[in-house]
Amino acid sequence: MRITFELNGKRVECEARPNKTLLDLLRADLGLTSVKKGCEQGECGACTVLLDGAPVNSCLVLAPQVEGRAVTTLDGLVDDPLMAALRKAFMEDGAIQCGFCIPGMLLSAYALLRENPRPTEEEVKTAIEGNICRCTGYIKIIEAIMDAAERIQNERP
Amino acid sequence: MIELWDGASMEYDKILENLLGRDDYLVVGHSVVRTDALEKALGRARFTADYIPKGTAVVKVVRSSQPHARIKVDVKAALGVPGVLAVLTAADVPGHNQIGYALPDQPFLNGEKVHYIGDPIALVCAEKEYAAAEAVDAVEVEYDPLPASFTLDAALQPDAEPIHEGGNVAVTTRIRKGDAERGFSAAEVEVEDTYETPYQEHMYLEPEAAYAVPEGAGKVTVVGTMQSPFLVREKVAHVLGWNLSQVRIIQALTGGAFGGKDDMGPLVCAKAALAAVKLGRPAALVFDRDESVAYTPKRFPARIRYRSGADGEGRITAVEVDITVDCGAYANRAPFWLWRMTAHAAGPYEVENASVDGRAVYTNKVFGGSFRGFGDVAIHFAAESQVDRLAEELGMDPVEFRLRNVLRPGSRTTCDQLLDHSVGMEECLRGAAEAAGWKRGRELGRKGSRVRGVGVGCAYHGISTSRSTPDWSAASLILNQDGSFTYRTGICELGQGSPVGHAKIVAEIIGAPLSSIRIEVPDTDSTPNAKPTHGSRGLMLGGTAAADAALKLRQRMISVAAEMLGCPEADVDLREGRAFNRQDPSEEVSFAELAEELYVRGVSPAAYGFYTSPRRFYDPETGLGVNYSVYTFAASVVEVEVDTETGQVDVVKVWPAMDVGRAIDPLMIEGQIHGAVSQGIGFTLMERLVVEDGLVLNPNFKDYVVPSALDTPEVAETIIVEEPYRHSAFGAKGVGEPAIISIVPAIANAIHNATGLRFNTLPITAERLYAALRRRKP
Amino acid sequence: MRPIPSFSLHRPKTLSEALELLQALEDARPIAGGTDLLVLLRDGAVSAKHLIDLGGVHELQYIREENDEIRIGAATTHAQLLRSELIAEKTPLLHEAAASIGSVQIRNRGTLGGNLCNASPAADTAPPLLALNAEAAVASTGGTRIIPLGDLFAGPKMNSLRPGELLTEIRFPTPPAGSGTSFQKLGRRRGLTLAVINVAVYLCLEGGVCREARIALGAVAATPIRMPAAEEMLEGRQLSGELIEAAASACRDQVRPIDDIRASAEYRREMAYVLTRRALMDAWERARRDTL
Repeated sequence: MRITFELNGKRVECEARPNKTLLDLLRADLGLTSVKKGCEQGECGACTVLLDGAPVNSCLVLAPQVEGRAVTTLDGLVDDPLMAALRKAFMEDGAIQCGFCIPGMLLSAYALLRENPRPTEEEVKTAIEGNICRCTGYIKIIEAIMDAAERIQNERP
Repeated sequence: MIELWDGASMEYDKILENLLGRDDYLVVGHSVVRTDALEKALGRARFTADYIPKGTAVVKVVRSSQPHARIKVDVKAALGVPGVLAVLTAADVPGHNQIGYALPDQPFLNGEKVHYIGDPIALVCAEKEYAAAEAVDAVEVEYDPLPASFTLDAALQPDAEPIHEGGNVAVTTRIRKGDAERGFSAAEVEVEDTYETPYQEHMYLEPEAAYAVPEGAGKVTVVGTMQSPFLVREKVAHVLGWNLSQVRIIQALTGGAFGGKDDMGPLVCAKAALAAVKLGRPAALVFDRDESVAYTPKRFPARIRYRSGADGEGRITAVEVDITVDCGAYANRAPFWLWRMTAHAAGPYEVENASVDGRAVYTNKVFGGSFRGFGDVAIHFAAESQVDRLAEELGMDPVEFRLRNVLRPGSRTTCDQLLDHSVGMEECLRGAAEAAGWKRGRELGRKGSRVRGVGVGCAYHGISTSRSTPDWSAASLILNQDGSFTYRTGICELGQGSPVGHAKIVAEIIGAPLSSIRIEVPDTDSTPNAKPTHGSRGLMLGGTAAADAALKLRQRMISVAAEMLGCPEADVDLREGRAFNRQDPSEEVSFAELAEELYVRGVSPAAYGFYTSPRRFYDPETGLGVNYSVYTFAASVVEVEVDTETGQVDVVKVWPAMDVGRAIDPLMIEGQIHGAVSQGIGFTLMERLVVEDGLVLNPNFKDYVVPSALDTPEVAETIIVEEPYRHSAFGAKGVGEPAIISIVPAIANAIHNATGLRFNTLPITAERLYAALRRRKP
Repeated sequence: MRPIPSFSLHRPKTLSEALELLQALEDARPIAGGTDLLVLLRDGAVSAKHLIDLGGVHELQYIREENDEIRIGAATTHAQLLRSELIAEKTPLLHEAAASIGSVQIRNRGTLGGNLCNASPAADTAPPLLALNAEAAVASTGGTRIIPLGDLFAGPKMNSLRPGELLTEIRFPTPPAGSGTSFQKLGRRRGLTLAVINVAVYLCLEGGVCREARIALGAVAATPIRMPAAEEMLEGRQLSGELIEAAASACRDQVRPIDDIRASAEYRREMAYVLTRRALMDAWERARRDTL
C-alpha cells in the first residue's frame, strides 16, 4: 500500500505491505535504527515512538495505520529544548547504561513532560511503566526525569 | 606489583601516592558523565541489528520440538521453499561440531540426538524472513524419543536414561576443611534445611544477534552482541576449522548481557559466520524474544542442603553443605558455577570446620549458564538464611551474630585462603545497619493487613576466575599526533561502563582530559586480548592492563617532555593535556607538541599494557588453596511491606553497602547496585520461568514478569567502603556481580522478620506467601 | 515468533462503510488499537484475510452523557477515557480501570471496544462496565441491536458477535448520587500487568440501606461475571462489615477460576474474597461520603 505520513516533521511517501509494522517500516525501510526491536508484543517499550505526540509501541501499529498522521522518533527531537533537557539530565544523572531502552524511555519521558511539566514521582513511574529497563533499576531514570522537569521550570521566566 | 623502569617496584594501589605524587585524584573517584552517554541519548548508538543492511541473507534456527530423542533430519522440502538459499546441518560444519564450553557435550548443530526442546538442528538461510520462517517449518525431523529427565531426582535415578555419555552427573566438587563433625559437637545450636533456587532469565532488552560478512578468500568478519570477542573468535574459528587470524570479531554495543551473552555470543556468531561463509554473502541471525527466553541459557537452578551449627558465644562452629546444580541439557559453565558455590559455601564468615560436596546434573531442559552473581546468589541465599536462623536459635540479633563471624583481615575462607588485606565486610555490614537504623527498623509493626519487616544480607564474591586458572588482561593506548588518545580493550561495554572506567584510569595516570581518550570498539583484528568481560573482572583486570599501558606511555612522555622542557624527569607533571615543569608550571608543552616530538624522535607513541593476576593454587583433593585473587564484600539491609491478605510484597527501601577496593566512579557503582537491586527483587519475588515437561510456557515479557518502574523501591545512598586491593589499578575491585548477591537473602530475611515465615525456595510470589500464611493460621 | 501473516487492510472512513466491508468480505475482522490483535496474529492464534481498520472511523470515538446515560464509542481509546473529565467525575470506576490497563503506550492505542471484544476473562474494563449495568450496541448492515454487556462474552477470548457485526457503543446509566464504586486489581507486579484477578463494585445507598449492589469479577471464570448471590445478600440491607464479609465469601463460593501460569485457581478463589471485600468496603465508604 502507498502511504503518506509526516515523519519527524517531514512528509514521507512510501510503499508498505499491510502486514508491515511501523517498527519494521522505520527500522528496515527508513533506516531509523534509534527505534529498537525488543519483544514485538508491546511489552518492553523499546520500540516506542510518538504518534501525533502520544507514545505508542511501533511494533503494535501497522504501517498503513499512520497514513496522514505524524510520527516522531528520537531523531526528530535532537534540537528540541525539552528533549535536550531530558538528554542532559539522563547523561548527568547516570540514567544511561546499555542504552537499548533509552530512545523509548526518553520519548515516554518527553511525552509526559509535554503534558505534565511538574509530575510527581508516581506519575513519572506510571509514564514509563511500559518501558522496561534491565540495567538501571529505573532509579536514576526516574531521578533524571524529575531533574529535567525541575530545570525546565526554573529556566522559565 | 608494578615493575618500574628504574628497577624499583610499587603496588598498583599506590600509584597516586608513590608515582603521581598528588594528594588527590583528578578523575578517579569522581563521578563523570560517561563518554558513551551522548550517542546513546541521541539514539545514535548502534547495536548489532542496527548494522544489518537490507539484502542480507536471513538465518533462522531449526530447533528440536522434543526434549530427548534420536533424530533424522531431512532438508529436501525446506530447500524447495522459494527464496531459500541453503539449509545447513551438522554435516555442513567444516570444522568441529563440538562446541561445549567446559565439557565436550554440546554439538553446535545436533545431527543425531537432541537433548532439550530448542536444541539447534539446522540453520535455514533465506532471502527474506517469510521464506526463512516457512522453510524452518519445512525441515523434516524424525524423532525417536528417549526417556527424558526433567528433575534432579529423575536424572539421578540409577536407571535414568543418560543424557550424555558417562551418565547424568557432569562434574563433582568437594571441600574438607577442619573437622565438621567435631565442629557440630561443639555447637550449641544447629539448623538444617534444603534450599532451592530457580532459573532466572536475563531479559536483556537487546535480543541475541550476529551479522557476518565473508571477506575475500578465507576470512570472515562478524559483528555481534557478546561479552568476549576473543572467545567468540575462538569458537567461530573452531566451527569453521580456520585459524584465529582468519576470523575478525567486532563487538557492537551490547544491549545488556548480565552473563548471558558470554554464552550466547559465540553460539550466535558462529551460526551467522557459518551461514555467511557457506553462502558467500553477508548473513545475519537475530533472535526473536521467545527464542531468547525459551532456548538460551539462564541462571542455573540449584538445590542446596545446608546444615550449620554455632556455639553459645555466637560463633559458627561448622557447616556441612551439599549442592546440586541443575545443568539442563549441557554442562556449559556448570563446573565453574558449581565450584564458585562450593568455594563460597560458608558465606562471608570465618568457619573453621567445613565439609562441602557438589555435583552438577544433566536434565532435559534448557541449559544453564552465566548470570550475574554466578553461583553466589544461590549459595548466599542458603548461607544467609542459615545465619539468620542460627541467630534466631541463639536469641541473638542477626547483625550482631554476623559481626561475630564475618571475615576480617587475617581471616581464612572456606577454602583456607588467608585474606591479608582488602576485606571490608565488617565496615559494609556496620555501615548498612547503621544507615538503616537497624534496631529501630526491626520494630516497624503492622498497619491493617500490611506488616513491615527488615532484613539483612551479607555477601562476598571472588573476582574473576578461580583456582589455578591463569588470569591476565591486555590493553593498548596510542598517543595521536594531535594529542588525543586511542584506547583499545577487549573488555566490552555491556551497559556497565567498564571501558569508561579504564579511560578514567588512563586519564588519571597520563593527565589527559577524559574527553581526549577515545575508546575504540573491541575488534579482534586490532584490539589486544583482554580476556572475557565476566566474573566482575572487566575493571579490575582490564583496567589494570590499561594502567600498565598508561604507565608505560607516561614514562616515555615524561622522558621526552623533560628534554623539551630542559628539566629533570622528576619535575615533569602531566595534567589537562599538557606536560609542565612542576617548579615552574608556565614552562609547558601541549600533548600535541609532545606527540609530534615522540614521533620525530622515534619514541613509540603506542603502549601495550599487560597485567597478570597473582598466581593462585588449589588442591583438588581437599578443595583448599588460594582460590580467587581478591573478594568484593557487600551488605544490604532491606525493608519490606507484606500484604498479609494477598501475599504481595513491596520492597520499600534498600540500604546497600559495598567494599569496592577503590571507587573509580561512584555514580557507575550506584548504577550497578540499583540495577542489581531490581534484578534481585525480580529473582526473589516475581521472576518465574514456567517449564513443563521441558517446554518453557512463558517465553515473553508478558508472563515472565520482571520489575517495572512502578516496582522500584527507594534506595539509600550507597555506602562505599574502600579497602584497596594491592594488585589492581588504584586498588579497585569488581562490583557488577557482588551487587546482586546480598539483596536476595536480605529480602527473604526481611519477609521473615515481617511475617515469621521463612522461605527456602524462590521466588516468593504473592501466591506462595499467601499460601504459607494460610497454612500457619489455625 | 513468526512474521505477521499477510492480509488485506481496509481503511473505511465511516461506520456504514466499515459495516459494508465487514458484510461483504470473507474472513474479515475489525482492527481498532491492534494491541491484542497484532500479538494474536503474530502468534498464529488468530488469522484473517481482511482487516478493517477502524482508526479512521472517527464517529466511533466519543464520550458523552445523554438523558442520564453515558455513551462511549467503541473505538474510544483508554487514554481518551482517562482524559475525560466526564468519566473521572461521573464514573471513577471506569477511570480507575482504564488507568490500570497496560502501559501509556497501550492505553494510547487500545480501545474500549477492542478490550471488550477481545473477550479476555481478565479484561480490566469488563468488570467495571458489568457493575455499571452497561449495554452494548452491536451494528451490522441490517441494523443495530442492543444487548446486555454480559451477553457479549461467549467464552475465553470469544465474543458473541455474528459475522458482519461490529460493537459500536457502550452505554450505561450515569451513577446517581449516593452511589459508590471501587475497582481492585491484583497483578504479579505493580506496573504494566495483566490481572491475576480484578473486581468492580457498584453500591447505591439510601439512608444507610443498600438499594442496589452490583459486583463483577474478572479472571475467575470463562468470562467476566456478575455475582448475583452476593449482590442479593446486600440489597435492601443495612451495610456492615460482617455483611460485606459474608457477601465477599459468597463470591469466593461462586467463582470458577482455573489454574494457569499466572496463578492457581485456589489463589484466585481466595483473592476473589479479599478483593471483593476490599472493593465493597471502599465503595461503601465512598457512597457514604457521596451521600453526606
